Amino acid sequence: MIWPYFDKDPLEQTYDAVVVGSGATGGWAAKQLSEAGLKVALLEAGRAVSPKEFTEHMPGYKLKYRDHSPEIVRTRPIQKQCYACMEYNYEWFVNDLENPYSTPADKPFTWQRLRVLGGRSLVWGRQSYRLSDNDFKAASRDGYGDDWPISYADLAPYYDIVERYVGISGSAEGNEMLPDGQFLPPMKMSCGEILLKDRVKAQFGRTVTIGRVAIITENHNGRLACHYCGPCERGCSTFSYFSSPFTTVADAQKSGNCTLITNAVVSHVNMDTGQNKASGVTYVDRLTRQVKEVRAKTVILCAQALESTRILLNSSTREYPNGLANSSGALGRYLMDHVTGGGATGFLPEMKIRPDANEPQRPNGIYIPRFRNTPSRKKQSQFIRGYGYQGGGGAEFNFSAQGYGTSFKGAVKEGIYSISMGAFGESLARWDNHLAIDPNLKDAWGIPALRISMAHGDNEAALMEDAATQAAEMLESAGAKDIKVQTRVEMPGMAIHELGTARMGNDPKKSVLTPFNQTHDVKNLFVMDGASFVSSACQNPTLTMMAITVRACANLIDRFRKNEV
Amino acid sequence: MKRRDLLRASVITGATAALGSSLSAAQSTTQNSAPASELTPAQRGVDASNDLSAPGWKPLFLDEHQNETLILLSDLIIPATDTPGAKEALVNRYIDLLLAAESRDIQKAFLNSLGYLDGESIRRYKAAFRYLPREDQDDLLHALAFPSGNSGWTGEAAGPDIGHEHFQHLKQRIGMAYYSSQIGAKDLGWDGAAAHGVYQGCEHSEGKHK
Repeated sequence: MIWPYFDKDPLEQTYDAVVVGSGATGGWAAKQLSEAGLKVALLEAGRAVSPKEFTEHMPGYKLKYRDHSPEIVRTRPIQKQCYACMEYNYEWFVNDLENPYSTPADKPFTWQRLRVLGGRSLVWGRQSYRLSDNDFKAASRDGYGDDWPISYADLAPYYDIVERYVGISGSAEGNEMLPDGQFLPPMKMSCGEILLKDRVKAQFGRTVTIGRVAIITENHNGRLACHYCGPCERGCSTFSYFSSPFTTVADAQKSGNCTLITNAVVSHVNMDTGQNKASGVTYVDRLTRQVKEVRAKTVILCAQALESTRILLNSSTREYPNGLANSSGALGRYLMDHVTGGGATGFLPEMKIRPDANEPQRPNGIYIPRFRNTPSRKKQSQFIRGYGYQGGGGAEFNFSAQGYGTSFKGAVKEGIYSISMGAFGESLARWDNHLAIDPNLKDAWGIPALRISMAHGDNEAALMEDAATQAAEMLESAGAKDIKVQTRVEMPGMAIHELGTARMGNDPKKSVLTPFNQTHDVKNLFVMDGASFVSSACQNPTLTMMAITVRACANLIDRFRKNEV
Repeated sequence: MKRRDLLRASVITGATAALGSSLSAAQSTTQNSAPASELTPAQRGVDASNDLSAPGWKPLFLDEHQNETLILLSDLIIPATDTPGAKEALVNRYIDLLLAAESRDIQKAFLNSLGYLDGESIRRYKAAFRYLPREDQDDLLHALAFPSGNSGWTGEAAGPDIGHEHFQHLKQRIGMAYYSSQIGAKDLGWDGAAAHGVYQGCEHSEGKHK
């Protein structure tokens, strides 16, 4: 625990706000509120993180097991399903033995997460896309589910703020489904990608663009441009990709108004029941197991969708027997995670470029925005909503070359030019996909654990089937050969885009949060993370989560100034 | 100095400057250093690249015959050419280390594939693989690597070829072990630098991609 800016014991004071979670959204909440002059306590369940731990430049042969460490298998059997959990950095990911959850036997769910300052912003995929009113008002257009209580116009100024600060490199396209933003210069596309882009445009009228990514391509806000070493998820010595500890959290601390308390595993929100107000949170010290309390005028949960809802479910009182701020019954409901598993790969024989071990590594790919069920195209009969693709193409060493001996060794270096795309589809909000507290399961700190019940449905399966077919057709149009189509519905959680379970809405009987992320039931309690999403859209959600947080903070600051809190 | 070397040099100088100034705030976030038990060996800076070449090395999992067979097989699959081969890259030692840490199912599958090689060798040539003359070793490997009964002419799908599957399994392990070694990385042409400047992408004009 550290309290650099206060002489007093951090637990003896009453803060204006306690923010639970220091990741993408918690970092923003801490920055915005403390820079506005509010006294903030920022709680993180894990430890602090240092640039000394970054391993992005360490070659794989220096690892004892060359990224096949049995330690990951032993302590992180779930986390290892995440592409970013590796022998380099697995200690950043939670120990599955200490952090259990349950699922029904027929509904597996993979919950991949970190407990360390910055949370998943340390290892995230960095893809950053705006939602549009095709997403916010989707229910009005196709009749399924509910509209968001906010529109694109409400959020656009906050997207601007976030993008200008974070630094998003990308290319403006004027696409109807994917609003443009405040972009730094885009990363470059490979030959094969440009070939695909041109032919897909000509034959299908669809957009292929470079990934919009939270990696700076020129020096920005005191951070250095990307040096293209490749593996961002191992840390970045130039802080070129956005992660909260070295940006928003550092700013919050610089303000002099933010006290960071690490190793604080929050168990529940405390209530002043007489006044129906939250009075702070209780946490268990991760290392000593001492139980402590932080008092604050407002409580802001930014702990990640499932964890924020878990805290509320574990905060039941006599007035709120089914979870705090759950008079609607919607808390824990409408869990979503983008559906993945549909796509295709192939080879471009007309590309004669050989792979180069010394080519700069671009930590980004291409993006194909949603082209199904858009305003300008006819409706699909098999499914509603749609999907976007991430993909990429380039020369690779051909490790699966035929044969053996000298010819094999040469063929590996001869290489192969591959091109691929994989879809991320909208996950429909369904009441049945939900979180509850498992009465028989606790984590290593004695805090009741979650039971996660989620399955993708027919619409998600139809999306992936169409995504596979369309991927193959687009690759074929680009001249790809040996096309392999993948039609699967991956287990929920695999997209690592968990959303919903404390949705926002105008009707307190049907939603947990107001359009400004305040709980309808308890006026000084807020959830500012992906839990607030009403629908999932199909775009990677972190940018939208951050914009929603900044918007909610602006509203809260305003009310503090008017003495309404 | 090539362009990418210049770019790399500027990245590194720039990084040092930035770390000294604008990121002092970031450093204050991180003044607590984590206990060693909460860092991976890599995050602690442990360099294990010389572990396998330790004098007095002994296999952890394989027996002597299996180890000798693996050394021989790996060097047939990835021989020394103008660059060192699998034997010099100590491919057998890495595979042994990994197998020792892996599940019983994976261990069994590996021994099964290695055993298949000896079984076929004894069936065809009356001796275990490592005792065959080089010519017979080559014949056997060729048969396993390029299965007959393929559908190249007729278009008919050939049935699963168990020998080929065992060969592919062994080759995949050997390939992974070789190309993840320092020798393997150099064989691919890697110059040892972590970063090589800005990704330039396609520099062709329209219709000239290749």
